Amino acid sequence: MQAMSTRGSFAPASLAPKDNRLLAALPGESYQALLPHLEWVALPLGLPVVESGGTQGYIYFPTNSIVSLLYVLADGASAEIAVVGNEGVVGIALFMGGETTPSRAVVQSAGHGYRLKGDVLKKEFEAGGVLQHLLLRYTQALITQMAQTAVCNRHHAVEQQLCRWLLLSLDRLSGNELVMTQELIANMLGVRREGVTEAAGKLQAAGLIHYSRGHITVLDRAKLEARVCECYAVVKKEYDRLLPDAAFTAVRGRAQS
Amino acid sequence: MNQGRIVNNLLAALPRRRYERLLARLEPVVLKFGDVLYRPRAAIRHVYFPTGSMVSLLSPVEGHQSLEVGLVGREGMLGVPLALGVAVSPVRALVQGAGNALRMKSAQFLGELRRNAELHRAVNRYTYDLMVQVTQTAACNRFHQVEARLARWLLMTRDRLGANQFRLTQEMLGDMLGVLRVAVTNAAGGLQRGKLIRYSRGEITILDAKALEAVACSCYQIVKIPSARA
Repeated sequence: MQAMSTRGSFAPASLAPKDNRLLAALPGESYQALLPHLEWVALPLGLPVVESGGTQGYIYFPTNSIVSLLYVLADGASAEIAVVGNEGVVGIALFMGGETTPSRAVVQSAGHGYRLKGDVLKKEFEAGGVLQHLLLRYTQALITQMAQTAVCNRHHAVEQQLCRWLLLSLDRLSGNELVMTQELIANMLGVRREGVTEAAGKLQAAGLIHYSRGHITVLDRAKLEARVCECYAVVKKEYDRLLPDAAFTAVRGRAQS
Repeated sequence: MNQGRIVNNLLAALPRRRYERLLARLEPVVLKFGDVLYRPRAAIRHVYFPTGSMVSLLSPVEGHQSLEVGLVGREGMLGVPLALGVAVSPVRALVQGAGNALRMKSAQFLGELRRNAELHRAVNRYTYDLMVQVTQTAACNRFHQVEARLARWLLMTRDRLGANQFRLTQEMLGDMLGVLRVAVTNAAGGLQRGKLIRYSRGEITILDAKALEAVACSCYQIVKIPSARA
């Protein structure tokens, strides 16, 4: 499967590059330098954006999609270590100078994004400035998310992990519905499917979510937040602190386009 | 200080003039067992380059023992967030292996980073390696048996410390591996009976590194530091 490139064609107005918060936070000049190189791509569910062990040619800026970073062990066991949506970028090995990546990046919620050739990104990154600053701060936020996922996996119950996962996903989507099978969630959390079924059943019985045929609708976000472990707040606070403010970049994005 | 000897891999990989310039500005310190270099959400005052010491990065968890998310020794540095534009530490940095390190005040380090693109690149590359380590540790803690994890951890510590013997309490090991102390005691007992390690009065000695590698999960191969690779 390949990301479908639609360079040269117009993306709907609702899916402009500035729907990605990092791109939206770039000042005019840096943004203009990248713009001709940005390719609008469809990111269908399950698409491997970066394969583990491989080197990558592109860096991806999701707009309305979510990409899951999964660690994969030699024996095939895997689980999610972080999610990336319109606040971030997939493929940080490119600018951090990592040779290969041990984790896979797979589309977890279908949508679109923009991609950029590695050498173009590298050149702009090396030039320093706002782009470098944004990408490095994003890297620090991502490290925090990874460490917190490690803690959550180790210490918290499946139900709490599921709440965390749902909230992190919701924050990266515009609606309150996720297209997701229980099997996929089990893979993300690295637990048995039965564990997810049980946890999801409890949340449904309590009226927090509705689950039907691969669609999860969050009915009561406040209650989900009350039930989640501290991990969600730790990650969210760190992202809010380190990354460009969504409201600010939206205003700036409109002013510049 | 003997400048011909490799003291810290990250520094030693820099071009010679850069390396010497930095070395002249770094202050040698001795890190004591149990010293806390950083606390979560507190300002990072110094960066440290371990030369014969080892520091554990721990994430706090409410109501649980904190969990180790990374290990730093002579292959790397402490204070990575500074290079990423962040002045506070997300983790607790606890000295696990007493010994030498070089340090520099944060403001001065930021000046060096601005002046020295090679240093910034080296720090970024190291940061990426550290992320790989965090990821692999999470995976390993999730899926592998305590004995294999303990073997991995002992080998990682040896590589980063450059020593076969180090001080260790079983409580600390519980934090490191995210398990109860009794599980660590059992696993360490097994390795000791097999004569892979000796554990006595808070000191661990690796007796048979080859056999320990055979017990460790494959995660060890991924987080091996370059100098420790065969």
